[in-house]
Amino acid sequence: MKMMIDVEHLTKYYGDYAAVRDVSFSVNEGQVVGFLGPNGAGKSTTMRILAGYLTATSGKVNIAGFDVFWNPVEVRRRIGYMPESCPLYPEMRVEEYLRFRAGLKGVYGSARRSRIDYVVRRCWLEDVRRQLIGTLSKGYRQRVGLADALVANPQLLILDEPTAGLDPAQIRETRTLIRELGKEHTVLLSTHILSEVTRTCDHVIIINKGQVALDRSLKGGDTAEQLEELFVRITGSEDDSPRRMAAIRS
Amino acid sequence: MRATLTLIRRELTAYFLSPIAYVVLVVFLLVTGGLFFGRATALTEHGPRGMEFPMQIILGHWIFWVIFLLIPPVLTMRLFAEERSSGTLEMLLTAPLKDWQVVAAKFIACFAFYLILWLPTLLYLPVLLDFNWKTFHFEIDPRPALTSYIGLAFAGAMFLSIGMFVSSLVRSQIVAALVAILFNLTFMLGGFLRPEMDTASWGYKLLYFFSVPLHFYLDFTRGLIDSRHLILYCSVALFSLFLTVRSLESRQWR
Repeated sequence: MKMMIDVEHLTKYYGDYAAVRDVSFSVNEGQVVGFLGPNGAGKSTTMRILAGYLTATSGKVNIAGFDVFWNPVEVRRRIGYMPESCPLYPEMRVEEYLRFRAGLKGVYGSARRSRIDYVVRRCWLEDVRRQLIGTLSKGYRQRVGLADALVANPQLLILDEPTAGLDPAQIRETRTLIRELGKEHTVLLSTHILSEVTRTCDHVIIINKGQVALDRSLKGGDTAEQLEELFVRITGSEDDSPRRMAAIRS
Repeated sequence: MRATLTLIRRELTAYFLSPIAYVVLVVFLLVTGGLFFGRATALTEHGPRGMEFPMQIILGHWIFWVIFLLIPPVLTMRLFAEERSSGTLEMLLTAPLKDWQVVAAKFIACFAFYLILWLPTLLYLPVLLDFNWKTFHFEIDPRPALTSYIGLAFAGAMFLSIGMFVSSLVRSQIVAALVAILFNLTFMLGGFLRPEMDTASWGYKLLYFFSVPLHFYLDFTRGLIDSRHLILYCSVALFSLFLTVRSLESRQWR
């Protein structure tokens, strides 16, 4: 299987603070990987580096064979990125915004029209197609962000907390959508909701204090409770953590 | 390339979707219209009142230059500062677009809006230049008006690019506007100080190089295109655009 993401010894310092320290992992094509970790663990930073917004202090990141630092435009062509805060232009309409984003990503003409129809349908945006983004609720805005990530049919989807702030019905719908998308795209999603990982992902990476604490595939048997147990053990008391991580990995 | 065109189109639309653009349009047209009306009326009154060249009606008055000082910063303040503070810059910079394409697209959209701003003033030309409807011909030499507009295009490009650079440095739009006004002031000083200065002193000669109102009052409105002025505008504009691209790239050094 081809490697979609290959991260080697990724380190990112904000001044003196190490947000990400020597993180290495890889994601194969077609996998749905859950990026799990407590707040401030370095999930968003890692995803921003993968998407090309931030630059690593050291380390190498290859996406679909292209290096993120040396070939950023090629990498971005293959990625659909949805950041945590879901920033949008409030003065534009949904359809207008999607047409704009599709145009930026190189999709034009009739292909653009059909892609927009497709993502609007897939992300349940038919009702608000002509509405101003500034008037949308949080749930709809997340869907617009997701539609934007999908519009150019990217090989890799990087979703930073895609269900944050949604109500339970919307969360369920989004998870179903991500599971379906996982059949056609490679997905890397970050969250701190454990049940989300067990229900939608086939692989989990736990990040704690800027380092990878766990990196293994979920073979259907893992339940949310087992994962929660692992998570609590990993992110537990500070003085024990190197010993715990060694114990978990063995 | 087409991605850049998409961005230009969206940026230009964004101007017309924001109230700032309309406020600027109204203020600008009120001021130029008021100047045109007032001075043209003065010309037709009794007594010795003269105007050397037609465009000096608008471009020779200090009120116009006060407005011109304020307009480019207000037009450019939102370009990067708003995107940075609302987070949409992250979305723009993770699209398959190079940094210089983003800067170029924003500048072109901004400059296009600036040209649209000046279009209604073309209506004054038939009056200022005494357009003869029968022979379809300007009775007064139209070339000084032409050179004035050329000068305005280049000078506008310079001020807009300075404003865009400042906007790319800060998060707050107000700070961007104020700092840009400060930078623009250095180019306007001569226009305000001139009456008190000894025009033969080397201080004045130095000031003349940089002060845009003087360029217009002495050269552009008289039909003279001085390449020194155009070179100043072009070089400052290109340098500011270069610095803006570098400022965007600088996020990679942090």
